[in-house]
Amino acid sequence: MSRNRTWPRLDGSRARRWLRQVAALMVKEWRQLLRDRALFGFVVFIFTVDIMIAFGAPELDLHRSPVGVIDRDRSAASRDLFYRLRPPYFAASVLPEQEAQLERRLDRGELRAVLTIPHGFERDLVSGRPTDLQLTVDASDSNLSYLLASYVERITAAMAQEWHERRDAASGRDNREPVVLLQPRMRFNPTMREGWFSTISELLGMLTVAGILLPAAALVREKERGTIEQLLVSPLTPLQIVLGKVMAMTAVTLLGTLVAVAGVMHGWLGVPFAGSIPLFFAMVALFAMTAAGLGVTAATFARNSGQVGLVVLLLVMPITMLSGTWNLVEGMPPWLRTAIEVSPLRHFVQIAYGVLLRGADASEVALPAAKMALLGAVFFAAGVSRFRRQFR
Amino acid sequence: MASSANAAEPVVAVERLGKRYRRAVALQAVSLTVPRGQLYGLIGPDGAGKSSLLKAVAGVLSYEEGAVRVFGKLIDSERAAEDVKARLGFMPQGLGLNLYGELSIEENVDFFARLRLVPAHEAAPRKERLLAMTRLAPYRERPMKNLSGGMKQKLGLVCTLIHAPELIILDEPTTGVDPVSRRDFWVILAQLIEEHRLTALVSTAYLDEASRFDRLALMHAGRVMAEGEPERLVRDARARIVELQADAAQPGPLEQRFAQIDWRANVARIYVEGDDDDSARRAVLDVVGPATAPHLAVRQPELEDVFVALLRAQDGVAIEPLRGLSAPAPRHASADAEHAIDARELTRSFGAFRAVDAASFGVHYGEIFGLLGANGAGKTTVIKMLTGILPPSSGLGRVAGADMRRAGQAIKERIGYMSQAFSLYTDLTVMENLLLFAGVYGLERRLAQERARWVLALGGLEGHEDRAASSLPMGLRQRLALGCALIHQPRVLFLDEPTSGVDPIGRRRFWAILQELAREQGVAILLTTHYMSEAELCDRLALMFAGRVVADATPAAMKAQLAAEQGQLLDVSTAAPAAALAAMRAAGFPGAVLHGRGIHVMAHDPRDAQERMRAALERAGLPEPLVARRELSMEDVFVHRILALEAAAAARTP
Repeated sequence: MSRNRTWPRLDGSRARRWLRQVAALMVKEWRQLLRDRALFGFVVFIFTVDIMIAFGAPELDLHRSPVGVIDRDRSAASRDLFYRLRPPYFAASVLPEQEAQLERRLDRGELRAVLTIPHGFERDLVSGRPTDLQLTVDASDSNLSYLLASYVERITAAMAQEWHERRDAASGRDNREPVVLLQPRMRFNPTMREGWFSTISELLGMLTVAGILLPAAALVREKERGTIEQLLVSPLTPLQIVLGKVMAMTAVTLLGTLVAVAGVMHGWLGVPFAGSIPLFFAMVALFAMTAAGLGVTAATFARNSGQVGLVVLLLVMPITMLSGTWNLVEGMPPWLRTAIEVSPLRHFVQIAYGVLLRGADASEVALPAAKMALLGAVFFAAGVSRFRRQFR
Repeated sequence: MASSANAAEPVVAVERLGKRYRRAVALQAVSLTVPRGQLYGLIGPDGAGKSSLLKAVAGVLSYEEGAVRVFGKLIDSERAAEDVKARLGFMPQGLGLNLYGELSIEENVDFFARLRLVPAHEAAPRKERLLAMTRLAPYRERPMKNLSGGMKQKLGLVCTLIHAPELIILDEPTTGVDPVSRRDFWVILAQLIEEHRLTALVSTAYLDEASRFDRLALMHAGRVMAEGEPERLVRDARARIVELQADAAQPGPLEQRFAQIDWRANVARIYVEGDDDDSARRAVLDVVGPATAPHLAVRQPELEDVFVALLRAQDGVAIEPLRGLSAPAPRHASADAEHAIDARELTRSFGAFRAVDAASFGVHYGEIFGLLGANGAGKTTVIKMLTGILPPSSGLGRVAGADMRRAGQAIKERIGYMSQAFSLYTDLTVMENLLLFAGVYGLERRLAQERARWVLALGGLEGHEDRAASSLPMGLRQRLALGCALIHQPRVLFLDEPTSGVDPIGRRRFWAILQELAREQGVAILLTTHYMSEAELCDRLALMFAGRVVADATPAAMKAQLAAEQGQLLDVSTAAPAAALAAMRAAGFPGAVLHGRGIHVMAHDPRDAQERMRAALERAGLPEPLVARRELSMEDVFVHRILALEAAAAARTP
């Protein structure tokens, strides 16, 4: 072995020296971040207040939606229907029957929908004849209008069922038809708390922003101030310069995640933590390093902080849009589903929800973790090589 | 340029002006008046309050005490300032900072014309005249960011003048600009003042520019310490300079007796108080003995000497004695055979442009080597190639015996580098900066602390350990940058314009450190500078022009060579230098150049030349000039060589 050694001698003092150099850079990065009020404030914000906002943000559900009702029947049935459109979902009001005026109120956004109950509604209902209701929905917000229409549909269906049963009971007949009742049981989030999901989504988004932006900003700042040359004439290798920044900023991201998950989400907002804590943080570190690889690459394309901000924005937008945090991967066309495999967040989303909410263990996240690590290695190599070439 | 204002009324009148930033006093009871048609100079160290005063006059800074009147109007509100703004032009500090890098020369000028609401039919001819005068017209399509420092400064001046102001306020317009461009700038400014009856209020960090002003104020710590015409300031100092051949001087006893001595390459300049040549001579002879009398000359002090003396009298201003070659550079046994820096046919191209063209020179250990040249001559590119930041296109750069293209870590540990504009981490403290670079060079904690203390002592930074680098005055910041480059005790030091923007006192201090490093520790130092007074202090100089090294010798040899070629230097003082210059050039003195408020001419036969000059000026109806022989300075050498090279280059490419 020792006769034809091809590896450089790895003696302890040289390795220690190498690490000491990187450590000196890391300490510098932390000090600079602590003193950069704007950037430091941003980091504190995204890991605390921003998560709380995501938790408390109005959920994607109807909340006292103003619905106008035109009651042309003025019967017990129409009043029954009117009272079913009640809070928390609806805030219904009876309207005078002037269609023109109505239209204007819809136009102005004062009403989300108008329900018209025709003359003879109760008569038809009692006699068992099919009857029509008209619902005019403001569909400018397509999600809400879809929800509104389907809620109204469910309400009218339930009402029809009840009136049907009441009519049967009154006539003494018992010809009930078979009814299928679905009994859903929610696992991992039994009460379907939107906040659990949204805080995690927000955290993942912010992790992406911080993971890319922090190392990119740190690197560009050196270029901007000309200090990069001072480092390049020193015995530091480009890899050491990049590693110093990436590791320092990964540590910041980890600390931020700790505050966000343990402090804000678990401690304050009561989001449960189902899986292994070390596994989760190991995965966050892996993701932060991967994102940092992107950040370093981004920094090589920018000349100043303003430009790096734009480049980062350009990266973060598609990465979060195409990750499965805000939309379903299953709904994407096949080519896009293949393409988003290069988004590190796509893999991290599976890991994060798995570990945090489902309590997945290491073997279950191994595949996405491996894909993410591969991406990270590629980004990192690209970043360091571009960085090296830029100054050679 | 008709003006309704009374011609006798001063353009600017400042009375007991006071300004503070929170608790820091910027200006204290400052009073001065600028008469119409004058070139008024503000001189002083960093933080003296020059910029604050200029901004207050320009109406962009509010003040607490006193009064500022411009064109007779009291500037006490934003509204009052708006009223006079149309009549003044202000160029803030910083090369081209008020210009737009992506826009061309012409677009920049047009933009400022429109901004100032100059009607197109007025702006167009004025633009042409100004561009022609500044010789920027051939480059009108070129984006501002691709201009050299001198051209940027001239463009800044054109943009400041496009609305035909009566008063222009220029904040350090020549900082970071090479001597030839600087000279050019002053000539253009003088011409503008004469032709347009302009009044100019200008600040500068170059003391040697002081003699160009009609009137000036020396500022220190927010106060005006002296004010008046240059000649009067020199007269009022009531002092003499005794020049003594350096080999006859005895540094020890002289420094004990005299507080202000400049040690130049071969001469010691001793500042002696007292308005009498004989007593000054006697005072020096008392110390060095009467036998040295033949090696001694008594002269009038220069403005720079007077200012240093004035500043020296202030509390808290330490003046280091400036030593040139006071001690011979010790040759290190191992170093004799081998150069510390060895550039061989070093070449670098950027596309079709050759930034450096086959540059060759060598620097020994213990030697201070100065790289001179105009902005854009290739000095910084040479340094970048030698420090391994930039690979050469061809040729070889060897530092400490190793090829920099393949330089490993071992070689980089022997190099120290201070880049242009001292790139420090301004958000870190002094100590944090030092320990960071100690860590970057892999020093262990104990050694790092030890070295940091050594650097703090060397740079006079003790007591500032916990100050943020951003809060340091330029002089301290520069010494901290040097300290960061020295923390690993390099054997070879590269300094790229290390003293740009630092005041004279700070520069003296800095040079004292460099000389200690070279003399005592045998460090090889390669530096670039635009200060010709610093070039005098180098052991050897290389002059670069258009990427080539065109001369490589000691300062004394460079001067001797120029003297052999061109003869004796004559300084011609006259009341109307611009007209006299034109007359002399016409009379067969093509090499005559403006120098301060006088004219410098070189002649092999001084007596004959003097006669011819007198005759030429008489024919032109000008008063008889005062002609004195002068020793050549590096500035004369630099300007002469560069102008000759520029003329030759222009002749080759018509």
